[in-house]
Amino acid sequence: MEDCRIGVYICNCGTNIAKTIDVEAVQKYVSTLPHVVLAHSYKYMCSNPGQEMIVKDIKENNINRVVVAACSPNMHERTFRSALIKAGINQYLFEMANIREQCSWVHDDNNEATEKAMDLTRAAIKRVELHEPLESMTVDMCPASLVIGGGIAGMTAALELADAGYMVHLVEKEDHLGGNLVRVDLTAPYLYSAHDLLTERITRILNNKLVHLHLNSKVTNLTGFVGNFRATIQQQNGQVFEKPNEVQIGNVVVCTGYKEFDASRITHYGYGKLPNVITSFELERMIRAGRIETKDGKIPKYVAIIHCVGSRSMEFHAYCSRVCCMTALKYVHEIKSANPQSYISDVYVDMHAFGKGHEDFYRRSSEAKTLFLMYEKNDRPVIRRGDPKDDCEMLIEVNERLSGEQIEIPADLIVLMVGMEAREDSGEVARLVNISQDKEGWFIESHPKLEPVATTTEGIFIAGTCVAPKDIPDTVAQARATAARILAKISKGKIEVDAVYSEVNEEICSGCRLCNKLCPFSAIEFNEEKKHSHVISALCKACGVCVAACPSSALKGRHFTDAQLLAQIDGLINTFQCAE
Amino acid sequence: MAIRINPKFIDDLDRFGAEDVQLCYQCGDCSAICAHSDEIFTFPRKSMRRLQMGLERKIETTLEPWLCYYCGQCSDLCPREADPGETMMSLRRWLISRYDFTGIARQFYKSKASEIIYVIGIALLTGLFLFYYGFSRGDFHVYDGKEAFLPSPFIHAFDLMIGSLMVFFLAINAFRMWYFTMIKGVTIKIPWWLYVKHLFTLPWHFFTQQRYASCETSDKSKLYMPWIVHLGLMLGYVIMLVLVMGFIEQFQYGPEGPEINWGVHIFGYLATIGLSTGIIYFILNRLNKKKYIQYKKTHSTDWVFIILLLLIVVTGIVQHILHRMGINMWANIIYVVHLIFVVPWLLRMPFSKWAHLVYRPLAMYLAAVQRDVKVKQEALSKSLFISVK
Repeated sequence: MEDCRIGVYICNCGTNIAKTIDVEAVQKYVSTLPHVVLAHSYKYMCSNPGQEMIVKDIKENNINRVVVAACSPNMHERTFRSALIKAGINQYLFEMANIREQCSWVHDDNNEATEKAMDLTRAAIKRVELHEPLESMTVDMCPASLVIGGGIAGMTAALELADAGYMVHLVEKEDHLGGNLVRVDLTAPYLYSAHDLLTERITRILNNKLVHLHLNSKVTNLTGFVGNFRATIQQQNGQVFEKPNEVQIGNVVVCTGYKEFDASRITHYGYGKLPNVITSFELERMIRAGRIETKDGKIPKYVAIIHCVGSRSMEFHAYCSRVCCMTALKYVHEIKSANPQSYISDVYVDMHAFGKGHEDFYRRSSEAKTLFLMYEKNDRPVIRRGDPKDDCEMLIEVNERLSGEQIEIPADLIVLMVGMEAREDSGEVARLVNISQDKEGWFIESHPKLEPVATTTEGIFIAGTCVAPKDIPDTVAQARATAARILAKISKGKIEVDAVYSEVNEEICSGCRLCNKLCPFSAIEFNEEKKHSHVISALCKACGVCVAACPSSALKGRHFTDAQLLAQIDGLINTFQCAE
Repeated sequence: MAIRINPKFIDDLDRFGAEDVQLCYQCGDCSAICAHSDEIFTFPRKSMRRLQMGLERKIETTLEPWLCYYCGQCSDLCPREADPGETMMSLRRWLISRYDFTGIARQFYKSKASEIIYVIGIALLTGLFLFYYGFSRGDFHVYDGKEAFLPSPFIHAFDLMIGSLMVFFLAINAFRMWYFTMIKGVTIKIPWWLYVKHLFTLPWHFFTQQRYASCETSDKSKLYMPWIVHLGLMLGYVIMLVLVMGFIEQFQYGPEGPEINWGVHIFGYLATIGLSTGIIYFILNRLNKKKYIQYKKTHSTDWVFIILLLLIVVTGIVQHILHRMGINMWANIIYVVHLIFVVPWLLRMPFSKWAHLVYRPLAMYLAAVQRDVKVKQEALSKSLFISVK
């Protein structure tokens, strides 16, 4: 190994570090350690002068290893690595000691904190000695994409990609496009026709040569990694399975949508038993047929709409389905315009009017003389048949919160606002594309705020109501976001794969395949011919599970080698021999 | 036992002026700002809710609408422009029609025409009767004494008859109010001595309208004008009523012909000032609708009230002046015209907003009794709760 010349930089972080830790003591101490050529402390290492100091020292003093004791690597590792690149040495010859989040911020005793900062910095120095220069690799990006699901989200994503000039395979398991939106008449709050929203998209899809539409089809297999996936698309016409179609793609968008909650699960609503208790989708059908009526063909005098059916309850789904409140208000307008003589009671838990134009829509529904009645979400209304002497068919008994009264609401037609839930085949899809699901079955995004459409598997994107309940604008925005992400990757042409990943030493590997099963990213394949495992470096996230699990130590984590980690531990528990 | 709600009620209420009640989403800002709302009587929020839900029985048995004097702060503050102040006003109209056993009040609120026909009908009958009486017995050119066109003892008797009729209806309606709120609306029997204990509140509120004075305005530096004017109008009205019912003979003429009888007339002049100021103030405010929110919306029945009162006061003053000037024939004619307005006015009172002259102080009195009962009930339930614990 070449002569190891380490430069150590201790950051004051204004007073964040310096007020608890005696930075100068740490600096003096580390400068006595072996291979440390120089040690500096500075007010803000991440600032431009701080970075320039590192660059200058590397150039002038032939420093070839750098340790910065500052904040979390999450915060500034990238900053300092780029300083190394700028100075012309490999970026991996760098280590960070976290003396802010894990030291100065959490300790009161200045002496002990200073000692701990010394320990942490020393561990980093000991580790960096063993760092090796690593090079990241690049792989080609296939410009075609696969979109699973032909609803409003899938069509939007597909069109966005095709309009940019790239090929898209759009796979829909039904024999038509449109998804759940096909069943909807008008949309809230502006009462646009859902049909109009869809037909424009469907026409464009059918006329676009770059969109390869696969109706009645399912993706049965997906292999490879970002930029280089192979998908098998199986078409089924009736009972006949067509010949599977294998396609090459670079990225996948999953927009498989939702299914509605089964209202018969709430027994005291009597859905399926009482003829005039219907779900919101059944009302949509009536509205599209142009007549809102009871089962025996009468105009209902009293209509009641019950919110949160299956949503916001500990028993079924704790989450809010987001679209039902405004949809219910939409029904108010639709019912009032169809049957102006009807009285509408809207039985709700909380009115979630969060979106643009929603509050105004809520107000307009009040102006339409809707009677809003509030119930406690865990004290659900009970529906029963009315007596013959009543002027209504059914009665809804509910503990009304705003008045504090136990009341009965007359009703001839009851509409249950069924919530959204994950499709029953969502688990299958998740396994197919290797993404995770939460406990409700929704697909998990890689970061709920900053990465809302990416997943933990690179190259797999999610959009729309397969992620969580959402309305049309949010769904469309997400679909377009996935397209933007994919187009950014395609335009780059190649993808850079992080140099930190696991490697299999094929000489040692016994082929037990333990690692294949453990890998959370499905990054390890088994080579049947050679009978040993192989890591797909593009998929590996360097979590280290395989390294820890391998019974024959055949797996090595690059940049996290056993020697490096042991040296760091040694440094932490101070096995440095000062005399060395 | 669950209470059946009545979604149709809202349609009925429209006619009484509560057009915006369904806009209310029960935030409770109105009750928070109200100077009179407290833990025992919380309004307008609760009343708004009962109205929306059509809980008729709850509404007819509550005193709360009478505890509101409509300063309008709630309506100013309401984030949904549901106009709680006007809703309380509409509720009072609805309650007046509910207390009234004849159904006449309800008819008036539902149709403008019926009220105008009623007023004109009674006015015509009165005019015909008085002219017939005057021409058949008296001298058209004589105002005072036995030969007068309308001798004061006759007018006295006539007034008392009309007054008794008015009192008859008012008393029955007031009794119904008591029955609804104190028997039907409460779960326990109210001890008689509580009625004795709070008896003083009845005259106190009647003569001072103290509660109205404590309505707050955004402009804190000034006196609350609507209260002063309202009090003046009411006192003027009551004094006039007493003069007409008890002292018409002394009031109408002195022992030696037309001269000022200061012992009586001073009250007449004071009452006239109170009435005229009130009428002018109300007309101006209802027309320009700017200063106080309670004058922004005017029901047709309110205009009938103001216009009739204006005509009564004007004809009363003209008649008085003509008489003093000795223009007897014209004084007689104007006198008849005056009475043509007075009689329908009095016979309309038990069925109109003006009945609040009786209902409001009565409500203050009954509310004081209820408050005592409710406080005791609450204390009792609290002590029971603790002992159970």
